[in-house]
Amino acid sequence: MYVEMRNINKTFDGFQASKDVSFGVEKGSLAALLGPSGSGKTTILRMIAGLDEPDSGDILINGERVNHLPGSKRGIGFVFQNYALFRYMTVAENIAFGLKVQKKSKSETKGRVEELLELISMRELGKRYPHQLSGGQKQRVAFARALAPNPQLLLLDEPFAAIDAKVRRELRSWLKEMIGRVGITSIFVTHDQEEAMEVADRIIITNHGRIEQMGTPEEICRHPGTEFVREFIDVERFESMMWRKG
Amino acid sequence: MKKRGMLCILILTMASSLFAAGCGGGKDSSSDRKESLELLNVSYDPTREFYAKYNELFCKYWKEKNGEDVTITQSHGGSGAQARSVIEGNEADVVTLALAHDITAIEEAGLIDGGWMDEFESDSSPYTSTIVFLVRKGNEKNIKDWDDLIKKDVEVITPNPKTSGGACWNFLAAWSYWQEKDGNNEAETKESMKRLYENVLVLDSGARGATNTFVENRQGDVLVAWENEAYLSMEEYPGQYEIITPSVSILAQPSVAVVDQNADEHGTKEIAKAYLEYLYSDEAQRLAGENYYRPSNEEILQEFAGQFDLAMNLVTIDDFGGWDEAYKAFFEDGAVFDQIYAQ
Amino acid sequence: MAERNETMGTTYEKDMVGDGVCSLQKVIPPQKREGNHAVKYVLIGISACFLFVMLVLPLAVVVINALKEGWAVYKENLLDEYTVKAFQLTMLATVVAVAVNTVFGIFASYLLSKFYFRGRQVLAALIDLPFSVSPVIAGLIFILTFGNIGWMGEFLKSHHIKIVFAVPGVILATVFVTLPFVFRELFPVMNAQGKEEEEAAALMGAGGFTIFRRITFPHIKWALLYGMILCTARALGEFGAVSVISGHLRGKTNTLPLHVEILYNEFHTTAAFAVSSILVILAVGILVLRNLVEWKRK
Repeated sequence: MYVEMRNINKTFDGFQASKDVSFGVEKGSLAALLGPSGSGKTTILRMIAGLDEPDSGDILINGERVNHLPGSKRGIGFVFQNYALFRYMTVAENIAFGLKVQKKSKSETKGRVEELLELISMRELGKRYPHQLSGGQKQRVAFARALAPNPQLLLLDEPFAAIDAKVRRELRSWLKEMIGRVGITSIFVTHDQEEAMEVADRIIITNHGRIEQMGTPEEICRHPGTEFVREFIDVERFESMMWRKG
Repeated sequence: MKKRGMLCILILTMASSLFAAGCGGGKDSSSDRKESLELLNVSYDPTREFYAKYNELFCKYWKEKNGEDVTITQSHGGSGAQARSVIEGNEADVVTLALAHDITAIEEAGLIDGGWMDEFESDSSPYTSTIVFLVRKGNEKNIKDWDDLIKKDVEVITPNPKTSGGACWNFLAAWSYWQEKDGNNEAETKESMKRLYENVLVLDSGARGATNTFVENRQGDVLVAWENEAYLSMEEYPGQYEIITPSVSILAQPSVAVVDQNADEHGTKEIAKAYLEYLYSDEAQRLAGENYYRPSNEEILQEFAGQFDLAMNLVTIDDFGGWDEAYKAFFEDGAVFDQIYAQ
Repeated sequence: MAERNETMGTTYEKDMVGDGVCSLQKVIPPQKREGNHAVKYVLIGISACFLFVMLVLPLAVVVINALKEGWAVYKENLLDEYTVKAFQLTMLATVVAVAVNTVFGIFASYLLSKFYFRGRQVLAALIDLPFSVSPVIAGLIFILTFGNIGWMGEFLKSHHIKIVFAVPGVILATVFVTLPFVFRELFPVMNAQGKEEEEAAALMGAGGFTIFRRITFPHIKWALLYGMILCTARALGEFGAVSVISGHLRGKTNTLPLHVEILYNEFHTTAAFAVSSILVILAVGILVLRNLVEWKRK
């Protein structure tokens, strides 16, 4: 397991956001944290990223316990739900930010930025500012920015939530392809079943701060583990998809 | 962890700025004094012009006598307020206030040694004054005496005895008049005083404020004022005002004293004493007269016989049993003035 | 695209697009529109009159009276040693107040907008205190704290630290009354910005100062400048608190506003107006700066 959560508990002001959460994600795989709003999935993601601290339990990355490590030292790339692009910097400067912080040389930075702009098919748009981009473009820049410093783990918080339906589908397959190409371990949070089913290698279903079930999309469809999963997952919808994927 | 750090920095910023301010101030007072001689004279309102000129005179005198340069800083305001500021930390070397009572207050706070009144001649009162009326040219309302001030359509300007020394003298002068007239009938006198203060249009906090209200803002028909203020107004605005001398008035004795505690700390005891003593010199006495203060030196006072009405019927503070008695009876909280004004 | 339908004096737009949406909108006949113009002009007229009487007229009076005795006298009044000293003190107090409150404002608004902690509301309310407290009372508070009779009095006296009735007191009073200005401009901006950008930067390893320099500061630049300008304007004109705490030591603890009062009290009306004109000129300068910054903000 590359990323592991063991018996994680987190309470915010009397509200228990995570109850005894334990799961693991294999290296190089793309996992989805799927669940209704308020089920604790974003909390889990933020704890892995180091943006929040668990009350108890262990977080392990590559076998090492990282609870005490600040987020910046965990080798993580994070894509925020609302992109969180640096609005006073150009696209190129945004992508270059992580590298500048690591004090990489100018030429190295330039090369990597160009490489990533190519990857996200926005080669001409390097000098644009975030407010001049569409939602989909912003998301791609956020993705590139997170990838720039070569993280070991990519975390995405509801990456497509703020994007309209048509673009979403396109972006979804693009992301899966990109992640596959780069080969980076990724965990993304979503409340959209179709997204999880289509994109993820492995789905972790959350509900009221607990893990309901973990498994591949087929496993979950074929063998829903709990009452909640049975109600939550619209199996019919995915039957055809599973068959197609099959 | 981060937020604790921020809070710490916040508190540190405020503390350091306070500290810097304090250090700056600390340096200010201790080092400055040693380099050049400095005196702080905390005075009352109307003496601005007089001390501006007297300070020049004294600096020249001291330079000739001792070869030293001295800088004198003045501060002016209502006598009571000034006394309070000295008690609260205004580091006056000398105080030249409107009445002995204010200086006694500083004495009681421990800043002036006892027996200060005997330190200089004439009960430490180098110049005196009295209370007169200032009216506009023509005296339309035909004001001749205190009785005219309580007439219905007359608007009076006088400051507040709680903050102004001059106002206390005003009050006592008026009180004396009616006591004499009514044969010491306190009830009737109180009634008359009540009607007087009912006619007061504006109750300024200081004598100079009252003068401004009357002269600059042109409010009221009559200003009850220090004699020297009245004369000063006539000088600044010739031909616009008249002085009316009431039949009964009071000998107002502004007092001076060295603030022993401050003078000792600053090392200015000697020069402070000399500063106040020089007020009794002939040149200073004449300067006082020229500035419309009655010199305490009898001979020089006579030189100004043409300027002052020396025949005025004047009571003194001793007729009231001294300032302590008078202040307790009239100006303390709940005393006569409060009773009159509250109604 | 819309057909107007006159029915009983009210005009409606008919649904021509066919999507079922019919806008019921009262179309205002022409004569009513002119009436709106009249109202507009009346309101503008009233505002103009008000501004003229309350603002332009007094300022004109100051300038006219300042120059009443001629240009030479005006210059003399301005270059009088006490005036110069007062100007220097005003400048000193203003610069210190703006500097301290800028640093304070940045830290306080950063703290309150990016972090969640108990007592957040209390701190925000405390910062607004100088707005609700009368400046005179503020001055009194300082006297009761740092004066001889204050609870810090003994300590300060034994260490020869002078605060009240000295320059530090004047500076302190000025800092106090201008405390909230920078904070009030920065906080809404920082609060609206949210903390995600900063989190993103922190995750990539950026240090506190880098985050502030590259992400927070560009966002608050204009608000900061605006707050500093307001702070300056307020500091220049402060009278109440400084008056109580200054002791009116001529040539030492008098600021320009205090000096104006003294001149006025000495029957030197023209001089008082001349010194006032300095404040007027500074005020106009600040106004121009302020408008520039506002314009740039858009």
